[in-house]
Amino acid sequence: MSAAPATLYDRIQAVAAEYPERRSAILPALRLAQAEHGGWLPPEAFREVAEALEVTPAYCHAVASFYDMFHLEPVGRHMVEVCTNVSCALVGAQQILETFERELGVHAGETTPDGEVTLRTVECYGGCGWGTVVAVDHRYREPVRPEDVPGIVRELRHGA
Amino acid sequence: MGLRALLLEHADARDLTQLAEYEAVGGYASLRKALGMERQAVLDELLAANVRGRGGAGFPMGRKASFLPKPDETTKPIYLVVNADESEPGTFKDRELMLRVPHTFVEGIVIAGYTIGASQAFVYVRGEYLTEYEVLVAALEEAREAGYVGPDVLGSGWGLTIVVHRGAGAYICGEETGLLESLEGSRGQPRTKPPFPAVSGLYASPTLINNVETLATVPKIVEMGGEAYARIGVENSAGTRVFSLSGNVVRGGNYELELGTTLRELIYDIGGGIPDGRELKAIIPGGSSVPILTAAEVDTPLDFDAMAEAGTMLGSGAVIVIDDRCCTVQLGLRVAQFYMHESCGKCTPCREGTRWMVQLLRKIEDGEATQGELDVLLDVCDRILGNCLCPLGDAAAMPIASYVAKFRDEHQRHIDEGGCPFGGESSLDGVVAPVDQHHAHMRGQIEVPTHA
Amino acid sequence: MSAPELVTVTVDDQELQVPKGQGMVETALAAGIEIPVFCYEPRLGPPVGACRMCLCEVEGLPKLQAACTLTAQDGLVLRTARTSEKAAEGQDAILEFILLNHPLDCPDCDKGGECPLQDLTFRFGPGSTRMQFPKRTFDKPIPISPLIALDRERCILCYRCTRFSETVAEDGQLVAVNRGAQSVIATFQDEPYRAHFSGNVLELCPVGALTSTTYRFRARPWEIQNVPTVCGLCPVGCNVWATTREGKVARILSRNHPDVHEGWLCDKGRFAHEHVRAPDRIRTPLLRVRRRGFEEVSEDDALDAAAEGLRAAEGSVVVAFSGAETVEQAAALARVARKALGSHSALLPDDWDPGLDAFRAPLSAIRDAEVCLVVGDDPVVERAPIVDLWLRSARRAGSEVVTLNPGGSVPVAPGTAAQVCASLREGGKRVPKELRATSERLREAKRVALVWSQDDETGGRHVGALANELHEGGGADVAVYVLPRAPNGRGVAAAWHAAGEGDAKPAEEGEIGALVVSGDEAASDPRVRELAGRARFVLTTAMFQSEVTAWSHVVLPGTSYLERDGTFVNLEGRPQRVRRAVAPPGPDELEWLSRLGERLGLDIAPWAAPGTAEQAELPPADEFAWSQPDPQVSAGKSAGPGLELVRFRPLFSGAAVERVPQLAFQRPAPEVELAWDDAQTRGIAAGETVAVSSNGTSRELRARLNRRLRTGVVRIADEHAEGFEDRVQVAKADA
Ligand SMILES: Cc1cc2nc3c(=O)[nH]c(=O)nc-3n(C[C@H](O)[C@H](O)[C@H](O)COP(=O)(O)O)c2cc1C
Ligand code: SF4
Ligand code: FES
Repeated sequence: MSAAPATLYDRIQAVAAEYPERRSAILPALRLAQAEHGGWLPPEAFREVAEALEVTPAYCHAVASFYDMFHLEPVGRHMVEVCTNVSCALVGAQQILETFERELGVHAGETTPDGEVTLRTVECYGGCGWGTVVAVDHRYREPVRPEDVPGIVRELRHGA
Repeated sequence: MGLRALLLEHADARDLTQLAEYEAVGGYASLRKALGMERQAVLDELLAANVRGRGGAGFPMGRKASFLPKPDETTKPIYLVVNADESEPGTFKDRELMLRVPHTFVEGIVIAGYTIGASQAFVYVRGEYLTEYEVLVAALEEAREAGYVGPDVLGSGWGLTIVVHRGAGAYICGEETGLLESLEGSRGQPRTKPPFPAVSGLYASPTLINNVETLATVPKIVEMGGEAYARIGVENSAGTRVFSLSGNVVRGGNYELELGTTLRELIYDIGGGIPDGRELKAIIPGGSSVPILTAAEVDTPLDFDAMAEAGTMLGSGAVIVIDDRCCTVQLGLRVAQFYMHESCGKCTPCREGTRWMVQLLRKIEDGEATQGELDVLLDVCDRILGNCLCPLGDAAAMPIASYVAKFRDEHQRHIDEGGCPFGGESSLDGVVAPVDQHHAHMRGQIEVPTHA
Repeated sequence: MSAPELVTVTVDDQELQVPKGQGMVETALAAGIEIPVFCYEPRLGPPVGACRMCLCEVEGLPKLQAACTLTAQDGLVLRTARTSEKAAEGQDAILEFILLNHPLDCPDCDKGGECPLQDLTFRFGPGSTRMQFPKRTFDKPIPISPLIALDRERCILCYRCTRFSETVAEDGQLVAVNRGAQSVIATFQDEPYRAHFSGNVLELCPVGALTSTTYRFRARPWEIQNVPTVCGLCPVGCNVWATTREGKVARILSRNHPDVHEGWLCDKGRFAHEHVRAPDRIRTPLLRVRRRGFEEVSEDDALDAAAEGLRAAEGSVVVAFSGAETVEQAAALARVARKALGSHSALLPDDWDPGLDAFRAPLSAIRDAEVCLVVGDDPVVERAPIVDLWLRSARRAGSEVVTLNPGGSVPVAPGTAAQVCASLREGGKRVPKELRATSERLREAKRVALVWSQDDETGGRHVGALANELHEGGGADVAVYVLPRAPNGRGVAAAWHAAGEGDAKPAEEGEIGALVVSGDEAASDPRVRELAGRARFVLTTAMFQSEVTAWSHVVLPGTSYLERDGTFVNLEGRPQRVRRAVAPPGPDELEWLSRLGERLGLDIAPWAAPGTAEQAELPPADEFAWSQPDPQVSAGKSAGPGLELVRFRPLFSGAAVERVPQLAFQRPAPEVELAWDDAQTRGIAAGETVAVSSNGTSRELRARLNRRLRTGVVRIADEHAEGFEDRVQVAKADA
């Protein structure tokens, strides 16, 4: 597994080999495809995964649409996810969200016009004791306070 | 009672993610010991320890393991599936274990695997836990090289391969049969039981499913012996648990406590109490799925039976502290939104009922509900309870019903005063729940009007 | 199978003795107690307990249980809504939840009057809804194919349709997407649901969410009549109801024969009925008149001309059968030829070795086989679709299904079915490597099903001989299914042989006195076209014009299986009753033959007197008597340059299908199926247009890559392979 084979098809075969039944590899396969397609799953992605796992594109779409981490519409190069479940909300998640919305100029669920950053709200991310939890490009920041937000946005915009 | 480190022993002093460090404090000795025993003998220790599942349902671990056929009684492979999908709101303890004592966890998996004669184990890790996944995989790699995991564990002739499988964001995949469906490559919708996983689980083979923390206790049990372990904690609630403390409390975080410690000790002595000089209003003692407790019930001990007496549950050990700034209708709305968002959509009462609850609570919060609709809300909860395919429906209905029951007058005021008595000052005011951003937009579908 | 143990269960205080493990919904029903269900449908596999409509109280259990998931266990005490307050409340609750977002537009819903949800609402439903919120709404209706419309707001998410697609047909095209309250039924990218069995979801849907575009708003349930008959479009012979309204066939519904088709139908059988009303149908007799071509004539003039033409042939007569005739019709025609005209030469679409009846078994026996062996180059699903479903269900039930064809699980060379059977028969060392594993599995197995899926001039003796070896040698019990080419191929062959001694093959060349072409399938057979060229006189009975009718001297209007009475013998050997659902425009074939008989001095009854029951039994297998000499095995096709072409006759083809516009999308796309390696070496990517050529004929087709197809082989549907020889060249179109 270490030396990743070239094509998506071959990489999916490699993952599938770890399971008693190949279909079990559909989540890893979709994850690989999503990475390949810039963070979301266009129709081609489903066709590719379907061929590799010998299922139908419809089946892959059915599975992907069940899970929150697969995106069926284009997303930004960066992803900011703010937990707004009870524990984080009790300690001010909505202020954090509002600050991000102000700084980025988009609402939750939207992507900045330049296609750089997608802002989402998410259900409990499992960092409740250190709320508010924010995942920036899938790495947790805990806790995030309103004053931290501008720095995070700058970091994303200028990689600084 | 109080703090007691068994699972997290030495974790403050040393970097136990390193195999050498773990071995230096006796790591994997329990595995050696277990491999020297008959399978049944190890199982007897687990039975004696009387450890109840740490995932939520609290079913005795040893008993569950004893339901599986013995390796010589079945032609099918036997599987061990580890539930590391930790998604119950308020819960973040499994994550702590995977990050800080991954080898304890792995050792527990291997011993449990040996006990039931499994050939393969799958660890279903919540997809969002990326760092945790990396730490776990690294630890597994070390363990493999050292021969603790693999085709021939420590030359015993018995082998166990472990696959770490990442989820992709669906709370329902924490439910054991939903998890199995997901692991088999389907949409993670729960199955009807029977057949139970012990008989027909993963790929229709005998399967033992346990939570991360449950398995992490196994090395200690083997080390101390079941009976000695059983003496820790209180009757029917043996051992320690890692409690996730969150909400309006000074020092949130994970604390490993001997079972039987009271909420007061945890919240005030250990957690430093309520910040900003606010008043304690309510406590959710076991994750968002369990009925709520009022401030008056803060002396309830954290053990299975005591919680049952108080009309709630220990659940996943997630203690959410709520101070007097919180409007319990908004709390109900936010919790209901979570369950609507996570309902798998397979069975009718859960799919339709959770959505209806959200609509009703939104209306109550906005002060537009009639008296009748408050009763409809309770009735909807009642009509979901016990009628669903899996426990998620109950997990949605029970808390909401308890909020109305315990804070009835607050709900009543929303109706009488035609609005939220907190007048925009509630700590949960304006909370934005995830809109269904990830959902495939179907041609002609008009968004479900759930939140205004 | 041994008799199942009986157990005692109690349903609403009635004590019942039932087989252990029997479903409780069935158990209750047998006792006259109906438990309402939506998602429960045993033919879709294990119960899922999704809709919860069947909640019942079980003594000793705190929660209500989904009765559909319960099976009879000794001492089980079940209370339905009739005797349990709790169960009644549960049922109310579920019904209220189901109706929350259901439009209740029954008056303009096709399902109205035959809708389980409507009935339940009427019987148990709340008078008014407490739901004060806007219901979920969608555009309506969404076409999920030219045949099927979906009204999403009526859908109650019972997942019957998607379970059919995933676990019965295994086409994986109709799926549920999204989660929770957002879940909807959909196809990928709104592409049409294109699969052989798609229409079954129409009958599975318990509400009016999935409706037939060909039936929508056509009729209301109380205006219609359902005629029990048998589908006459392939050799499976599915039992059906022909729903008629004002003398027209409005739709075909399945009539479940558990041994034949379990109530499933293919889309051809379900939708092709429209051809009966095709505008271009031949409605009056035609007589060829020099120069002026054809002229419409009276029935008697046509028959006189026919009789004269046949007599003039002085015995040099060839009869070309379709295999779509009823047994009675074929017998009558055989008598005309053999008795009245003294000719014993016929073209039969299928022949049948009587010895095979020693291995006769119902199709349902496929599911019980340990090993199913499928030989022959024709895709089973194109030749006898339902057999494909039986094989899938066998695999799901744990049997090993081995398909021996160029695209099969063992990709053998094309045209080698006979050799394959021969070497498997011999077994041992002389079995070629690729067949070793199969050969061993076959010999271990105690229950084997053998399926032969291509034309066979020996009438199935290759596979028969193999069956005999496995039975005699290995003591296995073996079921043989030779898939005929024609719907009643077996019945017609039997009728021909029964009508007289002797069987002269039509002369290879030279003039023929007269040719009798019986039906459209015969008229479209290239061999018949060739004979017609050599015949002094051609008499054709057909529904539609074709090259052969153009060659004919007399053309008599033919009829559809929906307009005839008589008997069809399906591939199992089951004689089934075909019923006249609607009247033909004129006389049917049997009446034509009877009146022709009069003119030739032969007495033929103008109507059939079939004795078969509504659901025919399969005659028991013969006393074991396989005494056939081993059939000659001709060598496989010759090697040469280019790729070897395997053609197949698609299910969605033929005169009937061509006349149903809604079925056009089901016909094979202009594709060539290429083996992965062959595509690589030619630098061809999936979906590319490629040039396929063979002795001067060249055609552009879309490339479909198949990683399982044997290297050196291409597969093309007949209608896209016209003019090609056995070997073709394939190259990138631009190159
Ligand atoms: C909706 C729902 C979500 C659940 N989520 C989790 C989870 O995230 N982690 C977990 O260990 N158990 C979860 N459970 C409990 C599991 O179904 C199962 O009881 C548990 O994993 C068994 O392990 P244990 O006996 O060691 O506790 C959940 C149950 C339900 C009904
Ligand atoms: S469309 Fe019909 S069959 Fe399919 S899920 Fe909806 S109600 Fe059930
Ligand atoms: S019929 Fe039993 S749950 Fe649907």
